[in-house]
Amino acid sequence: MAPISWHSVDLSLDECIKCNICTSHCPVSAVTDLFPGPKYVGPQAQRFREGDQAQTPDHSVDYCSGCRVCNEVCPTGVKIAELNARARAAIVAKKGLPLRNRLLGRNDLIAKAGSIAPALANLAMHNPFSRLMAEKVMRIARQAPLPRWSTSGTFGDWLKRTQAQRLKSDKKVVYFHGCATMYYEPFIGKAAVMVLEHNGYEVIVPEQNCCGLPLLSNGEFEAARGYHRGNVGKLAGFGRAGLPIVGTSTSCTLTLKEEAPELLDYHDAAADELKMATYDIFEWLRELHDAGELRTDFHPLPMKLPYHAPCQQRAHRIGKPALELMALIPGLEIAESHARCCGIAGTYGYKVEKYQIAMDVGAELFNFVAAQGEDVKYTACDSETCRWQLEHGVDLPSRHPIEILAAAYGLYDLERRDVIANGK
Amino acid sequence: MLDLLVIGAGLTGLTAALRAAEAGLRVKVIAKGMGALYWTTGAIDLLGYVGVEERAVTNPWARMAELDAGHPYRLLGEVRIRQALTWFQQCPAVQALGYASAGDDNMLTPSPAGAWRPTYLAPAGQRAGAADDHRPMVIVGLQGMRDFYPHLIARNLNAQGQAARAAMTPWSVLSEQRDRNNTQLAEAVDDPRTQQRLLDALKLVVKTGERIGLPAILGRHAHPQALMRLQRELQTDIFEIPTLPPSTPGIRLATALRHALEAHGVRVEIGMEAIGFHAEDGVVQWVETATSARPLKHRARTFLLATGGVLGGGFFSDHTGRFWETVFDLPLTTPQDRKRWFRPRFLDPQGQPAFRGGVAVNDALQPIDAAGNVVYTNLWAAGGLLAHMDPILERSLEGVAIATGVAAVEMIRQESPLPVA
Repeated sequence: MAPISWHSVDLSLDECIKCNICTSHCPVSAVTDLFPGPKYVGPQAQRFREGDQAQTPDHSVDYCSGCRVCNEVCPTGVKIAELNARARAAIVAKKGLPLRNRLLGRNDLIAKAGSIAPALANLAMHNPFSRLMAEKVMRIARQAPLPRWSTSGTFGDWLKRTQAQRLKSDKKVVYFHGCATMYYEPFIGKAAVMVLEHNGYEVIVPEQNCCGLPLLSNGEFEAARGYHRGNVGKLAGFGRAGLPIVGTSTSCTLTLKEEAPELLDYHDAAADELKMATYDIFEWLRELHDAGELRTDFHPLPMKLPYHAPCQQRAHRIGKPALELMALIPGLEIAESHARCCGIAGTYGYKVEKYQIAMDVGAELFNFVAAQGEDVKYTACDSETCRWQLEHGVDLPSRHPIEILAAAYGLYDLERRDVIANGK
Repeated sequence: MLDLLVIGAGLTGLTAALRAAEAGLRVKVIAKGMGALYWTTGAIDLLGYVGVEERAVTNPWARMAELDAGHPYRLLGEVRIRQALTWFQQCPAVQALGYASAGDDNMLTPSPAGAWRPTYLAPAGQRAGAADDHRPMVIVGLQGMRDFYPHLIARNLNAQGQAARAAMTPWSVLSEQRDRNNTQLAEAVDDPRTQQRLLDALKLVVKTGERIGLPAILGRHAHPQALMRLQRELQTDIFEIPTLPPSTPGIRLATALRHALEAHGVRVEIGMEAIGFHAEDGVVQWVETATSARPLKHRARTFLLATGGVLGGGFFSDHTGRFWETVFDLPLTTPQDRKRWFRPRFLDPQGQPAFRGGVAVNDALQPIDAAGNVVYTNLWAAGGLLAHMDPILERSLEGVAIATGVAAVEMIRQESPLPVA
């Protein structure tokens, strides 16, 4: 029986009119000959993947970064990025996967392991010798912007510690923090909780899995299915009960909503309940604002802020709600980036053979930030890996828009990345 | 609330949005993808052919009366069309591209196959290719470039009495990478060092007295500068010949319009496929677009449908023979029997009925049903989806886009005056 997505993904190649708009916008093929472009690797090569063709032109599909710019610009709706992801998964299923990609796909386990002794883990990971070894042995680029473990405890630790201070309310919202917030950047979660509570919502943080995106983008579909099954089991009930599930990682929320169900053909009532209950946090806050229920008691934040909506945010097709809401903050002058991609694309830019490609892709964004002048103190971007890449590329601290919003409410210190004490 | 939601980011949608923003309307553009300008020559065709006549039209204004009574040009009349084209030409957004006409007449410039194609407003980069200039041409290509064929162009031009010869330069003049498309080559030419290599290469092949035809890759962002520099240092005129898509002259026009919209604070949101709408008592309340989960509602006081024809995505059809307008399912003049969509001959001089059909509008550019009644009181339509024309056959695509897009905005301003602030 043909799976449901047979139409939505595989057959979408028939919508291709060979106009080459995708190739014109592909940030990867613009900087390297190793990737011939989305049209060739996507809808064109797909015709050779039908049935049991002996020869497929698939080796280059591994150089697709999965940024999804091709989908965004396609005028006819070909799901090019998904075609490529499935082609990669087919290769992985046949030929197996290097240990490096297995590890990068399981960032959640590494993150959790490191958080047991974060200072030690940082020392072990962030020194020139171990980075050199990681490059030689694991082929993880030694310059690539790996995150640091939080040394002030995980997001979960903070929640436990501040349990008594957390708001109780009839209005409730569920928070999907993702692995990066849990282990590396608990301050993103704190900012989200402060903003949601400031608007009168009790924040429920249930047990949750990694969304599985790193596995999906490294082609390990079966492992990703297990992760998604876990999240459906743990979270769909909240959707059924009518509670919104908001996330600060645009790639995690995209995976819960669309990527996992579509790529894995994971369609059942519970998965659908999870999909329909999940929001990017700014998507949800914008609905609150449209209903006249968002508090706008913002303190002025007089500064210029270059904002880059990451690829995975744009793939939600919800416009740029973070931009719209940050525009309500007095004194904040936002410069909107139209750069296609920062280059990192999840785990792509960490791989030694792709590091330079990722930096060359990112140059468009780095140059945009540099052109905004000397007095820029921060950049803003919704996605964690993109912020790390941005900091690596332009040497300016980068913040999540939720941190900006929390700071404008007077609840958060943008410099120290921590809640302001009297803000509970 | 928005005053106007424009659906579609082709030439129609972008020019209409810009006109609306200039007039002080709060406007937003949503579109499924980047928009059809990426496929077009960048020139503004007004009316190139009438009926089955094989000869190109000399003066398009003089021939408009022969068009179908329901043709958008007939509905608008010459004055409104001229106003719109004048606005476009004088629009600061496109000044750098230097659009101009040859008086009231069409001009003929070489097509990618070496045919003379009639157009009305040509950008500065294409005008030196005009047929009424009697200097010989050298058409210069790049070895290994897939989408440009100088020998074919030169041979066909010669066959039509234009002295032309082909010459080739090495690929490495423009790029060290082997696999580059037109847009990427154009970006390479933005770099003054590439321009210098191109200059050196052209000096080797150009003979005194020749004008130079090149594939349309002379810069994506720095086109005016690149063109001026090459002409100055080679001391002759240079013209671009449009390539197969992606077409850089069309991309330049799209980029210029988008920059102008951004300067006006107008958002152009792409990746937004309109999948539904809601109307009450004949008034459209909102349009819905697909997202990664729930549909997103876009509310506005008025709506302009500018989604284009079959290619642009304004229409869709299925194997059962249904043929529909994709956002509002508006009444269409297209034959409902699929056997009547096409004539037996692919290149029939009368064109294909499927492409003549579309959304019928009144002279205010509001969609109407078969009885002539306005379908939704706050909905207008413009551009390639309109009925009673065949823009490809007529070579009228861009003229219709600008004329109807701008005229629709003028009607929207009159019908729905801005509340006094």
